[in-house]
Amino acid sequence: MNGTEDPTNDEMLVETDVSDGLSASANSVSRDAETVISSENINVWYGDDHALTDITMDIPENSVTAMIGPSGCGKSTFLRCINRMNDLIDVARVEGRLTLRGKNVYDDDVDPVALRRRVGMVFQKPNPFPKSIYENVVYGLKIQGIDADYDEVVEESLKRAALWDEVKDRLHESGLDLSGGQQQRLCIARAIATDPEVLLMDEPASALDPVATSQIEDLVEELAEDYTVVIVTHNMQQAARISDKTAVFLTGGELVEFDDTQKIFENPDSQRVEDYITGKFG
Amino acid sequence: MARNTYQSRLNQLEEDVLYLSELAAERVRFALDALEDKDERKAQEVIEGDHEINRIYLDLEQDCIDLLALQQPVAGDLRFIAASFKIITDLERIGDLATNLAQYAIDAENDVYAEVDIRRIGDAALDMVDQAMDAYETEDTDLCRSVAERDDDLDAMCDSASESIVRDLMTGDDFEGDGDLDPETALVDVRRLLLTVRDLERIGDHAVNVAARTLYMIDNDDSLLF
Repeated sequence: MNGTEDPTNDEMLVETDVSDGLSASANSVSRDAETVISSENINVWYGDDHALTDITMDIPENSVTAMIGPSGCGKSTFLRCINRMNDLIDVARVEGRLTLRGKNVYDDDVDPVALRRRVGMVFQKPNPFPKSIYENVVYGLKIQGIDADYDEVVEESLKRAALWDEVKDRLHESGLDLSGGQQQRLCIARAIATDPEVLLMDEPASALDPVATSQIEDLVEELAEDYTVVIVTHNMQQAARISDKTAVFLTGGELVEFDDTQKIFENPDSQRVEDYITGKFG
Repeated sequence: MARNTYQSRLNQLEEDVLYLSELAAERVRFALDALEDKDERKAQEVIEGDHEINRIYLDLEQDCIDLLALQQPVAGDLRFIAASFKIITDLERIGDLATNLAQYAIDAENDVYAEVDIRRIGDAALDMVDQAMDAYETEDTDLCRSVAERDDDLDAMCDSASESIVRDLMTGDDFEGDGDLDPETALVDVRRLLLTVRDLERIGDHAVNVAARTLYMIDNDDSLLF
C-alpha cells in the first residue's frame, strides 16, 4: 500500500508543476538511501518563544524513531514540523530545511495537504469521526477525491491496524462505539488508508490501559516493517521497548542526543541525557 | 535530585555488596588461618558461616530483581545493577571456596606435606579481591585492569606450587618423616593440597570477574569479560 518504492513520489508533494518538483528532488543533495526524513538546522518560534533550536537529524526508513524529553522540550513541535502541522498555528515560524526523501517540505511548491497524505498522524487521544468504522477508514481518500476500491482499502487498512478481526462484522457501526484501544487502532487504520510513507504518533498510547497499550506497541513494531514511524512518548520504557532510534530533547528545544535506542538507554554519551533518563532531573 | 527512594536503594545495594565482599574475604582469611594453624575450631566457624553469606547473597539477588522490575533502571544505573547482580554471584562462590579451604584444614590435621606456601598464594588472591572491590567502590578503571593483570602472577604461583607438589610426590622429597611414607596417605594429602591451590587460584578468577563486571559498570567496557 505505501509508496516507499515509488521513485516518482515527490510529485505527490507538489501542488502544481510536477516537473519542477521532480527536478528539485533530483537536484537535491544525495542522501543515504535509508534516510526518509532529514532535518537540517530546524528552528521553530512561537512568537518570541524559541521552541526548537538547530535540530539536525536523519530518520531512517522502515524503523521506529522515538522522541523523548521533558514537557515543553519541543519534541511534539518537531513532530509537527514533519507534516507542517505547525502551519496551522498563526504565531509559529519555522526556519531550516526539512526534507522528505530529499524534497524540502517547506518549499513553496509543496502542498501541505499532499504532504500529509504521505505523512500520516495519530494523536494522543483517539479521535474517530462520528461516522461508521468503514467511513472513518475511507474518509481521507474520499475528501481528497481519490478513487479506489474502498472495500479493499478498508479491509487492508484494518488488517494492518490489527483491528479487522474485531470489527469485520460491524463495519457500519459507529467508530465511537469501540473501546479506547480499538478507537486508537481505527485512527491508525485511517492514517494508513491514504497510503503514507511516514506515520507520526504523538503519545498514541498515553490515554490507554496496559492491554490496549501493549496492542498499540505491538502494532507500531509491525507497522515499521512497511512504514517509517516517528513516535513522541513520555514513557521512556515504551521508547526503549519499541524504537530503533531515540532522540532526546531537553529543555530549551535542544536535541541533545540521537542514537540507537540501545545505546541511549545503556550508555548515552551525554551526562545530561544520562541524568534525564535515570530520573536525576526532569 | 529526583527519585530519592530509588537513589537510596541504589546506594544501599552498593553498601550491601561491599559488605558481602568483606564477609567473603574474611572467611577466606579465617580459612587460611585455619589451614596454617590446623585450627579445626576456626575452620568450623567458616563452614557454619557460609549460611550467612548465602542468605545475604539471596537477599541481594532479590534486591536487584526488585530494582529491575520496579524501577526500570537505564544507562549507568542499569549497568550498576547488572554488574552487581553478577558480582554477588562471584562473591558467594568465594564464600563457597572459603568453606572448601576450611574443610581441607579439618581434613589435613595430620598432613604429611608442609613446604608449599599456601598463605602467600592465599594473600595474593585476597589482595586481588580487595582491589576489585576497591575498583567497584571508587569506580576506578585502572584498578580493574590491574586486577586482571595480577591474575597471571597468581596463576604462575599456583602452577609452580602444583608442579612442586607433584614433583615431590614423585621423588618422595620434602615429605615429613623419615622416608617411610605410606603412598596412600601421601596421595590423599597431595590431592587435598592440589585442590587447595586450585581453589585459591579460583578465588583469583572470581576477583577478575568482579573487576571485569566493574569495568563494564563504569565505562560500558566489556574488554575484560572475554
